[in-house]
Amino acid sequence: MDELLSNPAVQVGIVPILAAFTVALVVALLLHPLRLGGLAVVAAFLTTMYFVSGLALSPLTATRKIIILSIAAPVVGILMDFAFKPTRMGGAVLALCAAAGAFWVFWPVLAQKPTAEAWLLGASAVVAIAFMVGYAQLYLAGDAVRAGAAGLGLGLGTGIAAILSASVSYGLYGIALGAGAGAFLLPQMITGRKRSAGATFTLTVTLTAGLVAAGAMILAKLPWYSLLVLALVPVGPRLPVPETAPVWLQAVLLSLYGFVIGGAACTLAWRFPDGIPG
Amino acid sequence: MIQLALGLMFLTLPLASAAQVESYNIDPFHTVPYWETDHIGFATMRGRFDRATGNFSIDRAAKTGTLEIVIQTATLSTGDTDRGVRRRTRDEHLRSPDFFNVAEFPTMTYRATNVRFAGDGPDVIEGELTLLGVTKPVSLKVERWRCGPDPRTAGKRYQCGGNVTGSFKRSDFGMKFGLPTAIGDDVKLWMSFYGFRN
Repeated sequence: MDELLSNPAVQVGIVPILAAFTVALVVALLLHPLRLGGLAVVAAFLTTMYFVSGLALSPLTATRKIIILSIAAPVVGILMDFAFKPTRMGGAVLALCAAAGAFWVFWPVLAQKPTAEAWLLGASAVVAIAFMVGYAQLYLAGDAVRAGAAGLGLGLGTGIAAILSASVSYGLYGIALGAGAGAFLLPQMITGRKRSAGATFTLTVTLTAGLVAAGAMILAKLPWYSLLVLALVPVGPRLPVPETAPVWLQAVLLSLYGFVIGGAACTLAWRFPDGIPG
Repeated sequence: MIQLALGLMFLTLPLASAAQVESYNIDPFHTVPYWETDHIGFATMRGRFDRATGNFSIDRAAKTGTLEIVIQTATLSTGDTDRGVRRRTRDEHLRSPDFFNVAEFPTMTYRATNVRFAGDGPDVIEGELTLLGVTKPVSLKVERWRCGPDPRTAGKRYQCGGNVTGSFKRSDFGMKFGLPTAIGDDVKLWMSFYGFRN
């Protein structure tokens, strides 16, 4: 066991994700009855962040701003879920706030880049994040299995694409979000009972995954077109599945829809890391 | 008359003192910071930064000096520039947020706060390294130091050159990826430098 734990690959990659999934599962099991199971995502993200780079907030780098927004997102989500009824206007406001958050995180880095590159990367980040947050709030927040499947595909897609783009740490943050979404889904699959997602889950997972993916693009080498395809992952789990099918089967099918789109984003990062020819 | 002479002497004393301070501009083509650290407990990996600029000054009479070096982090190189079958090279990984995060922190700087002399030359440079937005004290040992006319310019240009070494823990600067065993925490520095007198 000691030998296994002293393996560098296990220390760097396996331990943070296993810890993230375990913590997230405990949070999901404890808080699902209170409609707060969505907090599993932020629990997983912060656990992995603790193992990989620590939870310090100074100096306030882009990565640390992502930590702050990942904590703020479920707070806003809980407020949205318990104090307001879901409306189209609410989804649009969240999308705009997410875009502003992305601007706050990445502007100091983009300001150091050539103008054309800064515009391309900045616009891709803002559009992708605003779309993911708004779409998930409008169309997924009411269905915890579809939302969980979207989070799973988005997290794993972001993580694998980030690793292909030269940042293992951002890859682990993305995979941690997938682990959190998996922990959110698992109790529903086992019990066959759908729980609540709400903005607590969807805002947290889409905003944080979007920021991690944008960070992999702006700070590492993720191509902008991969980010835009990743932004479409939440669309996949809206496709139809047999409503009479068991919850676990619905979760598997919906996750597969998300994986296909996330896989396309990873394929782009793998095949065309420096631009699409032609 | 004596009062006038004394007055002039006092007036010119600061000028005489200032004249002993020699200032130098770093030669970016021959000033190369190298670093090394442990890799998964088996071998030592070495790398360098291809571009460093800055200046230093020395007052041999007062035995004081200054130093400021700005290193362009994106010029990092370990010699691994060909991706081969991989998606990314080691150099690209080292430039990512896992390590030097060059998009967000394009420079790292070293500023001397005190220069200790041994004889006529500098021996230990106490200063502060700013890396990833974190500033921590780091001392450099001057292992080699020589000043004189530059033979390449037939003596028209005066230069000082030498080598310095130092070390720090990268975790002190928030660079924690791969700790504790994949990538070593202790980083050794070795730098050759040249400066041309202004």
